[in-house]
Amino acid sequence: MFRRARKPLAAAAALASVAGLTTACGGSSGSGGVVNLTYMIWQTSEEAAYQKSVDVFEKAHPDIHVTIDLVPWAQYWAKLQTSAAGRNMPDLFWDHLEYLPELAKDGIITNLAADVKSSKIDLSQYSPKLLAQWENNGVIYGLPKDWDTIETIYNAKDLATAGITPAQLGSLSWNTTDGGTFVQALEKLTVDKNGKHPNQAGFDAGHIKQYGIALEAPNGQQDWWDFGVQNGCALQSKAYGTWTVNSTACVQAMQFEQDLMYKWHVAAPGTITNTPNGAQLPTILAQNTAAMTFDGDWDLDTYESSLPAGSWGVATMPTGPAGSGTVFNGLTDAVYAGTKHPEQAWELEEWLASAASEKIVTDTGTVWAAIPSLDSGFIAAWKAKGIDVSAFYQGSQGTTIGYPLTTAGTAFTNVVLKDMNQVWLDQMSPLAAANDITSVSNAAVASGD
Amino acid sequence: MTPRAKTPRNSGQRGGHVLRRMRASTVYLLLSIGALVSIAPYLMTLNAAFKPQSTLLSTQAWTPAVPATWSNFTALWSQYDMSGFIVHTAVVAGTITLGQLVFTTFAAYAFARLDFPGREPLFWGFIAMMMVPQIVTLIPLFLIMSHLNLIDTYRALILPYVFGTPYGIFLVRQYFQTIPADLEAAARIDGAGTWTILRRIMIPLSKPILATLATITFVNTWNSLLWPLMATSSERDEVVTVGIAALQGQFASELHILLPAAAVALLPLVAIFLLFQRHIVRSIALTGLK
Amino acid sequence: MSANIAVTGAASRSRAARRNRRTRTTLEAYLLIAPSLFGFVAFLVAPVVIVFVLSLFSWNLIGSPQFVGLANYRRMFTDSQSWHALLNTAYYVVLNIPMQTVLALLLALALNRKMRGSKLFRVVFVLPWMAMPVALGVIWNWFFDPRSGIIDHVISLLGFTGPNWLTSTTWAMPVIASVNVWQYTGYTMLFLLAGLQAIPQQVYEAASLDGVNAVQRLFRITLPLLRPALFFVLVTNVIGSFQQFDTVFVMTQGGPGQSTTTMNYYIYQQAFQLFHAGYAATLSILLFAVILVVTFVQFRYFRKRTIYDFS
Repeated sequence: MFRRARKPLAAAAALASVAGLTTACGGSSGSGGVVNLTYMIWQTSEEAAYQKSVDVFEKAHPDIHVTIDLVPWAQYWAKLQTSAAGRNMPDLFWDHLEYLPELAKDGIITNLAADVKSSKIDLSQYSPKLLAQWENNGVIYGLPKDWDTIETIYNAKDLATAGITPAQLGSLSWNTTDGGTFVQALEKLTVDKNGKHPNQAGFDAGHIKQYGIALEAPNGQQDWWDFGVQNGCALQSKAYGTWTVNSTACVQAMQFEQDLMYKWHVAAPGTITNTPNGAQLPTILAQNTAAMTFDGDWDLDTYESSLPAGSWGVATMPTGPAGSGTVFNGLTDAVYAGTKHPEQAWELEEWLASAASEKIVTDTGTVWAAIPSLDSGFIAAWKAKGIDVSAFYQGSQGTTIGYPLTTAGTAFTNVVLKDMNQVWLDQMSPLAAANDITSVSNAAVASGD
Repeated sequence: MTPRAKTPRNSGQRGGHVLRRMRASTVYLLLSIGALVSIAPYLMTLNAAFKPQSTLLSTQAWTPAVPATWSNFTALWSQYDMSGFIVHTAVVAGTITLGQLVFTTFAAYAFARLDFPGREPLFWGFIAMMMVPQIVTLIPLFLIMSHLNLIDTYRALILPYVFGTPYGIFLVRQYFQTIPADLEAAARIDGAGTWTILRRIMIPLSKPILATLATITFVNTWNSLLWPLMATSSERDEVVTVGIAALQGQFASELHILLPAAAVALLPLVAIFLLFQRHIVRSIALTGLK
Repeated sequence: MSANIAVTGAASRSRAARRNRRTRTTLEAYLLIAPSLFGFVAFLVAPVVIVFVLSLFSWNLIGSPQFVGLANYRRMFTDSQSWHALLNTAYYVVLNIPMQTVLALLLALALNRKMRGSKLFRVVFVLPWMAMPVALGVIWNWFFDPRSGIIDHVISLLGFTGPNWLTSTTWAMPVIASVNVWQYTGYTMLFLLAGLQAIPQQVYEAASLDGVNAVQRLFRITLPLLRPALFFVLVTNVIGSFQQFDTVFVMTQGGPGQSTTTMNYYIYQQAFQLFHAGYAATLSILLFAVILVVTFVQFRYFRKRTIYDFS
């Protein structure tokens, strides 16, 4: 992919190697007894940091060469599963909880428990919440490499214009009856073409110039799941259990978000934000379409590169009827069960999950480390860029829900995208959507599909 | 860049009247609007590519990039191996184009001019394959390449397409059929074999259609994404579409690199088309019609 | 073929010699098509055969495939989404093909006369065909953004409010079709222009002596003589339209709702998002069958009305 250039003469070398069409076959050992490992990842903004870490690893292991294969999220799983079909998978790859159960069920991921034991890995160094997500009945599917939460990202100028400070933004609360201080703040941030706010007489809901908030997520991770946890909603009865999306607490959360759009007129409607066709969140903020949004820390880098310095910031999300809360998720590196080089792959896994490697990565401000003692490095890296990102850390320490664990992850995502887009267009009631999502997803779990 | 709509001079043989002139002006006006629509997305791509990263999203797409900056282009070359992607893609597209020119000429000649058992069923078999949706065949193709241990090599990118496509064979065969048979018959009487006829008669007379085939093949290969994405995974063989796709995140894309990259990636295609365009129209002219 | 007969038939050679010549021709022919035939069998036919086999299995690509007989086919007939996708595809074809063909024809007619700048126009109109789909999605999404897109900006300057193009179930498909018209009209025009240029000038001269007016000229002379070119363009464009994938993939990913889920995109979803490889294979066979029938009908229709020999 568009990976950063490592050798200035790469192009010439490539030309030379094609001339004879004699390039070595992928994945297997190259010349001189050097083992080639492929490491597949999906986040462009994290590639540089991981390359840095891998460089250190290669120096310590001159007999191992690591190729990072960057595949964008949109095609990542298609490529991964196709390569699984061809028994030609990357030796190591980023794994996500949405897909883990399906991959694990088919035995494509190495159980690392024995290696963890023989290499005497100190599991207590990792965040226990992360560890729990990736362990099931003594099977370890990967060592935690990072974590992420969702918090508020705001346009600083819009906030100042409305006379709201970032600290105030972080202490708002919402409820399902009058919307609470959260809706009051959003009303201040919402302006129609005549400069009127939604709580003023003569406000023109048909011509809103700037919305208070824009929410956008294909499955809910950056919007209604968060309102859900703030309202005491659980998406599932238990890990790998049945779906409970149509519980009162969850439906209320969806309803609240729909109300933000169509009752209070403070949130950008689905016509603007529905994925995948809507405008991208940084664009929405940059063009003052909305004053704030909820987003994951993995996108910080994009806000940094696409918005002028000092024009944006991070705050905690509001608290809901059940208190504060956010979605907490983390990735691991999975080791392909069919790798030709299990020993070397484990060495790379061990390195990437080590404190030394996680420090290299987190100190660049790329991603939070799964080892909590290193997280100050992430905060420091962003402080140097003028952004206080500690809200994400606070979120991780409070009430959280993890990513749902299910063997029907793709079926769930699919029906959520379809139904919730309708809800955000005000063409479907939250309850109807929740019922449909619950029954379709539970049917998929039952059929093992 | 918009073609200037000059008032046409009196170009018709009969010329003269105001009415005729007005009609010509209307045609020019409409053509110019069409031309503007055709290139507007390119203009905006270029415009945005010259905006500094910090104003790329906050300004409207049509706000002129003033002051223009080369920083995105320099970033494209300093942070990313743009030359490498171009070279890889050129190697793949060039090889496939060359192979298709040769093999398609062979096959098209056989289908157009040689009478042999099995010709009709074979030809219709080729045509039918044009109608098969290619998406799902990506999986079997991957299995085959994986079995041959060719995944992540140039061969995996080149082999499936280098021997020609049904579309190409169809196109060139139609053209060959329009070349007068007498020429060939005369040569045969003089003792020329198939090889000589191909080299001395068919190929020289078919330069236009071969230019067309070359352009179509090159452009299609250059722009193809899914197969290269599936089939390659390392630096040494990654092509430009795969590189550009990687800049698109789920919610946020690295537009300041993506847009200049897309603009740069278009240049070789425009060059190829300009090189061949006169041939192209002439060639197709002879294809469909006697 | 006629050439061979002419050569061999002219002289009264022995039957053995003729048979000998036939054998040689056959051998030569097969040598000539051998490379293409190899590529065709190895990388087109073999995958298609595997697809047919896959349609009898249930397979998520990771585990081992399970034989399910005709279950995928039964599912296809009861799956309302597959019919929806087929209807969407037909809708797309209906939006796309007439618009594209008529525009391309008008452009070709305009550019077929001697005029200044016709070469430049020709190049400019073909430029969209070369656009890289990956990058196109970003650009067109800008164009159609209801709040900051140039299209709604222009509409608002005229005093109207534009629709929410890509997030509207009504407008998303017309937008996809328009983008394709944008992309392929110039390419189609090239073929039609070539067809026009092949029409002998004498035909028009004769007609002008007979006092034929411009409209009559178009419908009585130009279009009938353009039929072979139109035929090629229609057959290949219709096949291409039924396989629409790229634009949907980069712009709407089938949404909003199911409104732009074309059959080929639905196949992609089933295969690569839901990992129902067997079912996706079954759907491909359905789409293949549909295209085959439509193409066959086109061949029948055109063959009746044209002197042009297509086989």
